[in-house]
Amino acid sequence: MDIQRQKNIMVLALFAGEIMLKSGAEVYRVEDTVDRICRACGIPYVEVVATISSISLSLDSDDPERPPLTFIKRIRSITVDLEKVSRVNQFSREFTTTDLSVDEGRKILKEINGSKSAPAPALVAGAAAISAFFSAMLGGGLWDFVYAAISGAVAYSLSLVLERLHANSYMRIFLCCALATLLAVICANLDPRATADCIIIGGVMIFLPGVAITNAIRDALAGDPQAAVSRAVDAFLVAISIAVGAGMVIALWQFAGGVV
Amino acid sequence: MTILIHFLLSLGSVFGFCSIFKIPRKAIFPCMVIGACGWAMFKYVVLILGLSNVLGCLFGALVVAVLSEACARIFKDASTIFVLPGILPLVPGAGMYYTMRALIAGDYASTMSLGTQTIFMAGAIAVAILIVTSLFRVGMVIRGTLSPREFRR
Repeated sequence: MDIQRQKNIMVLALFAGEIMLKSGAEVYRVEDTVDRICRACGIPYVEVVATISSISLSLDSDDPERPPLTFIKRIRSITVDLEKVSRVNQFSREFTTTDLSVDEGRKILKEINGSKSAPAPALVAGAAAISAFFSAMLGGGLWDFVYAAISGAVAYSLSLVLERLHANSYMRIFLCCALATLLAVICANLDPRATADCIIIGGVMIFLPGVAITNAIRDALAGDPQAAVSRAVDAFLVAISIAVGAGMVIALWQFAGGVV
Repeated sequence: MTILIHFLLSLGSVFGFCSIFKIPRKAIFPCMVIGACGWAMFKYVVLILGLSNVLGCLFGALVVAVLSEACARIFKDASTIFVLPGILPLVPGAGMYYTMRALIAGDYASTMSLGTQTIFMAGAIAVAILIVTSLFRVGMVIRGTLSPREFRR
């Protein structure tokens, strides 16, 4: 196997791993996918180590003359997109069981990476649904449902804007929760039919660290305590940002003499 | 009756989570049903059986995890895709909020009790997923469909 082919395989495998990791897949799944792709191409020695923000891949051949190849990929931020995770997962199964060439594989991955799965209005509508239905599930009435839908949609729109500006994720969640709480408190003060608590909880539910919690559990189960701890810390920090964002607005409102 | 209303309401909220996490289209409906069953189980345990919120979360998450593992096999997809939106209604966002309110009010006794309950609820969800996923995995190894090294779905 010549060095160029080995390098191409490496780039393909890392690309698959990168798409998965930045779309919110578990660390063990990323390692497993990269490993399978390399082995399917007939590389005898593969070692891959992933963390929640990087992938390192090392390949060696049977040729004693040639030094091993190592590649490190850094992942900057995670945007949850489970459709991409699912598609790369399916791609790796297909790649390992059929004889797709490396170039064809790269083309498919590029297509997956570039795919725009959902437009912004659909996401905002989803956020509004979460917020509205949660306020109802926690005992809110019809008006809470309406106000929660509005405050959830506005807060999530702010989140999308900040994401585009590459704001720090804790800061983004802090600001969005503060905005959702502020809107809820204003609504509850203007309209006596609304209760602030239900609207605030609805708005805050959108930003819960669900992916981090689930992945922490599953990585722990797959025997990767390092990834599990990093994810758990991430989930904890997100929870703190949410609490501080909502709490700060309530405390300031009360300090200014308002009622919550 | 109350349980049925909660089931229908949680269908809506899980649909929202499916949208923001960009769940593949064919998995959206099963996800909604799984999440709604989990929340209905939580409400059943808490309201009808009169048990604590922590046990409610445990049983709710058990339902979600079992259904997700089953769906992962039926639809041949990663089980994360079903588990993730499914457990989100159970994640104690409300508990977190009331803990924070108690803290702002300076009521440290309630902060501790609410905070502990919230942490235990999150822990119960984790334990439920751990139990179910590892049991399914052991089952697959025994049936020979999975080698012990692998851990994929």
